[in-house]
Amino acid sequence: MTSYDRVMSIFTGDIPDLRPVVPQIFGVTARLNGYRVYQYVTDGKVLANSQIRTRKELGYDILYVFADLLVEAEAAGCKLHYNEDAYPHLLAPVLQDLDSLKELPLPLPEIDGRMPVLLEAARLLREHVGNECIIAACVVGPITLASHLIGIERFLYKLIDEPEKVKGLLDYTEKVVEVYGSELIRAGAHCLIVFDPVSSPDVIPSSYFLQLESERLKRLYKHFSLLGLPISWISIAGPTQRIIPYYKESGINLATIDYEVPISEALSLSNGIVINGNLKPYDFVSDNPADIEEKTEACIREAEGKGSFIIGTGCEIPLEARPDNIMALVRVSRGLQ
Amino acid sequence: MEVALELRDLIEAIIRGEAEAAVIIADSLLQQNVPCESIIENGLTEALRSLDTKCTNEEFNLLEIMLAGRAMVSVLDEVITPRLPSNSPHSPDKTIVIGTIKGDIHDLGKQVVKTLFSARGFRVIDIGRDVEPLDFVRIAIIEGAHYIGVSSLLTLNIPFIREIKRILRNEGVNNIKVIAGGAAIQQTRPEDLDVDYVAKDAFDALHYIDRDLKE
Repeated sequence: MTSYDRVMSIFTGDIPDLRPVVPQIFGVTARLNGYRVYQYVTDGKVLANSQIRTRKELGYDILYVFADLLVEAEAAGCKLHYNEDAYPHLLAPVLQDLDSLKELPLPLPEIDGRMPVLLEAARLLREHVGNECIIAACVVGPITLASHLIGIERFLYKLIDEPEKVKGLLDYTEKVVEVYGSELIRAGAHCLIVFDPVSSPDVIPSSYFLQLESERLKRLYKHFSLLGLPISWISIAGPTQRIIPYYKESGINLATIDYEVPISEALSLSNGIVINGNLKPYDFVSDNPADIEEKTEACIREAEGKGSFIIGTGCEIPLEARPDNIMALVRVSRGLQ
Repeated sequence: MEVALELRDLIEAIIRGEAEAAVIIADSLLQQNVPCESIIENGLTEALRSLDTKCTNEEFNLLEIMLAGRAMVSVLDEVITPRLPSNSPHSPDKTIVIGTIKGDIHDLGKQVVKTLFSARGFRVIDIGRDVEPLDFVRIAIIEGAHYIGVSSLLTLNIPFIREIKRILRNEGVNNIKVIAGGAAIQQTRPEDLDVDYVAKDAFDALHYIDRDLKE
């Protein structure tokens, strides 16, 4: 069975030959292959090579087209500061107020910012693995992108002070995600993960997710499913118990959850969608392989018989993680089949 | 309106994040000769307590706390501070130096800490973002701070956080406690960061300080 079939079996109800393992493993693949993170986030070849080599070495079941959470924001005009061996950060949002939105053009994925870099990475990965492994490309959710375009503090206040204008901004960001996500699939990605940290109940009340994001996600997933695989994947960290029950009606069928939600609780709230998680990412830095084996085993046992589940990490494995810890995750997951 | 009822309205306006309403109510209380100290104790501090309870019940989210913080700061800036004598018992007597560690520029959480600690009566010295570990220590010593609050969203900067305590030890300073907070580092333990406490959120940091001051 290929990695692709192994992951898909969780959706189709077939019995996989081995337990699929899907950790969030991005920039650390650069470091493990002797690249600086700057190279990884700005060069599609480096990104694709890092992903391919690390998966070959460590043996998990996914490939990612992910640089950082600011690709869409930069393409729309935000200024970033690049670090040599860390992810870039937002230097200046493109919007100072919501009235300037009407002057903001939609980014062109083949031209603007680093979108072409990510499209190249998707093409290279697909050329290399074909349909042997699922290639998941990452986009940010409309709420998260909106917070980048105007700055998060200003965005949160605008949610209350100018709610109608915020809806206009979200219409724009939804369109950006749709256009860019569609190109990623056309370039070779099988499916998309929507990263939406600002929609976390840690940041905004869960009612805002339902009022402002849920319908937009539903439209986006419907659109993407017609272009690629019918995997509609969301990744939101934090205490997501109050929004997980609404994932299914938002069109989501795979959700990555982090350590703040016990895996058994997430499965009980999931309405039958697939849950991915929820090992603590920092443990891959601070623990040793024996600890990781123990925690992986405990997580799998907790999920057993409670619903559709794919073992992984609840958020990105840090750049400074130990590769032997990632190996331990894969080893014990396979062994517990 | 009865003062007690109006104080209750003030608390509710702050919790709902209604800055304009909170300022109007606080002003009305002053017109009724309610002392500033009473507005702080029975209005702002009570509002903080309610928010804290909400946070403990895990209904906490950043937006609601920011809005409440904005309302509280508006009351302080527009109504209380201009009328508060400089030798008031509410003048700050504990100082905390806060900043985002070197390599990180996220400061939203730090802003919330600044607001809540100021409202609680601390002298808060915000030294900004992307701050060298040595600068945390240098400024804390110069300002006679009791605490250093270090914020980071990223685990990548943990080696810089660890530097703070090492520099304090090298300087022979053992009376400044270091508290860390921020999204990703909540996964860590104090010994991972070499700090005195890893706070889950701003209120958790306040609780730690309350316990520490009682010891």
